[in-house]
Amino acid sequence: MEPIRSYASQEIEREKNPIEPQKEPKIKKRKVWVPGLLLLTPILLFIFGFFVIPMLYILYLSFISTDNLGGADAVYSLKNYTQLFSDSYYLSSLWLTVKISLYSVLVALFLGYPVALTMAKSSARIRGYITLLIVSPLLVSIVVRNFGWYLLLLPNGTINQTLMALGIIDAPLKLLFSEIGVVIGLSNAYLPFMILSIVASLYNIDPSLDKAGAILGASPFRRFFSITLPLSIPGIVSGCILVFSLSMSAYVTPALMGGANVPVMPVVIYDQINNLLHWTFGSALSYILLATTVISVAVFTRVFEKGKFKEVFR
Amino acid sequence: MKTFGGLRIAVAVLAIIYILIPLIVVIPASFTSANYPSFPADGFSLQWYGKILERPEFLEAFLNSAKFAALAALFSVIFGTLGALGIAKYDIPGKSYITALLTSPLSVPQLVLGIALLMYFTPMMLAGTSAGFLIAHIVICIPYVMRLVLTGLSGFDYNLERAAAILGANPLTVFMKVTLPLIGSAAISGGLFAFLTSFDNVTVSLFMVSPEMRTLPIEIFSQMQDAYNPIVASVSSVVIFISVLLIVILEKIQGVGKVFGGSHHTNG
Repeated sequence: MEPIRSYASQEIEREKNPIEPQKEPKIKKRKVWVPGLLLLTPILLFIFGFFVIPMLYILYLSFISTDNLGGADAVYSLKNYTQLFSDSYYLSSLWLTVKISLYSVLVALFLGYPVALTMAKSSARIRGYITLLIVSPLLVSIVVRNFGWYLLLLPNGTINQTLMALGIIDAPLKLLFSEIGVVIGLSNAYLPFMILSIVASLYNIDPSLDKAGAILGASPFRRFFSITLPLSIPGIVSGCILVFSLSMSAYVTPALMGGANVPVMPVVIYDQINNLLHWTFGSALSYILLATTVISVAVFTRVFEKGKFKEVFR
Repeated sequence: MKTFGGLRIAVAVLAIIYILIPLIVVIPASFTSANYPSFPADGFSLQWYGKILERPEFLEAFLNSAKFAALAALFSVIFGTLGALGIAKYDIPGKSYITALLTSPLSVPQLVLGIALLMYFTPMMLAGTSAGFLIAHIVICIPYVMRLVLTGLSGFDYNLERAAAILGANPLTVFMKVTLPLIGSAAISGGLFAFLTSFDNVTVSLFMVSPEMRTLPIEIFSQMQDAYNPIVASVSSVVIFISVLLIVILEKIQGVGKVFGGSHHTNG
């Protein structure tokens, strides 16, 4: 039985890494990675030259406190970083960004989970159609999607007119150019990512667990809360992290749906760079935004790992 | 407990409508005969489509978008396909790190990427130029092309290449007659995806455009901030039409869902 087992484990290994080519006898390897490196040279040079170095360059700029960008008389200090904590405007902007991102995560989670569950229970065909429906809008420019929300959310837009015609409200609600508008725009834009993350973890649940629960007499409600939901927590966590990080750094949606009324960090940073030309301060704010996102995600992950769901993560 | 399943499906349907509705309302709104955009439209006319032709800035922006998207797609497919072949075919040390590096522009917010490139291009005199714009768009497109071509290569049978070589084909013939046709569909969908990504991009483009050179999404973005005009609805409908057309082709070739598996797509 031994050879068969090792063959099977190799099969599994291969399926785990579909990107890697089939494991072949060792003789061929070693010598022939040079042409591989040659094939990679153009793209590596490009990514280094136009991605890695620019990112490091603004990190360097963020430590310059004069308007002189890295010249001989440039003054290096941490002033750009400490300014954030001494000015309540930037701190409240940071808090607003976190708050709006959390709301977007919640909306995406509550709307997305039922879609993911429906996909997991459907046939491959239906699942394909749903995937196409939820993913395609991502390929249409975000400005166009935001324009659609304009039509729906304006004071004389569809939603306000409908609510007023139904007698639910007397005066139009302020949906656009408010935090509600930004949360709607962000959760709408990133809902597909939440769905895809949750669906991925739902596929991994052994269907016989649900059957076992049914045989033992558990109701669908009970089976969902005792089996499916706890086992899908890794997907929920990764979906929440994804939507949170994307919402934290989104610029176009807050700029269009919130405008000056909702000065989240990306809007403030854009203003610093493009309108006020405070380039070094803007660079520092960019890294502060990145750091805040990374730290929030780390804290969130840690809370879940330490909490009662530890066994899910193994 | 039928109600539980019923509730799930009801919320799921609502959520899918929620995802689609901003796109659905734009098209009827573009046929309005009124001077303001609204949904449902007031009356019916094609006047706002005709008005696009009277506004040269839209046509120019459209041509710019199409031109740069085509170039960005071409370059990212060349770089990406070569790179993916290098990773998939050869046992390069540290290949998982290389793959991670090459897809990392996706995990950096586009706002930050735009700022970094603007700062970097300014002393090089590339800020606001076509070259700078193109480079920035290639950076955004490369991760998607890499991912699609790597997925396409995952089931690739290298024995076919070997067989051709044994039968006397030189390396160039092997590549042109065996490798390329087999990974062609993955490369084409990578290219289409890159085209759409570049064509629709706003955040990075905002830092790369100049008053002389604007793209269609940027034009819509500034029109939405300044004026409030039904022409935005008709231009947006044209964008939706183009996107849907390319999505249908993409779906026929490879499947749209593949690109988004756990990806960091930042465009908001």
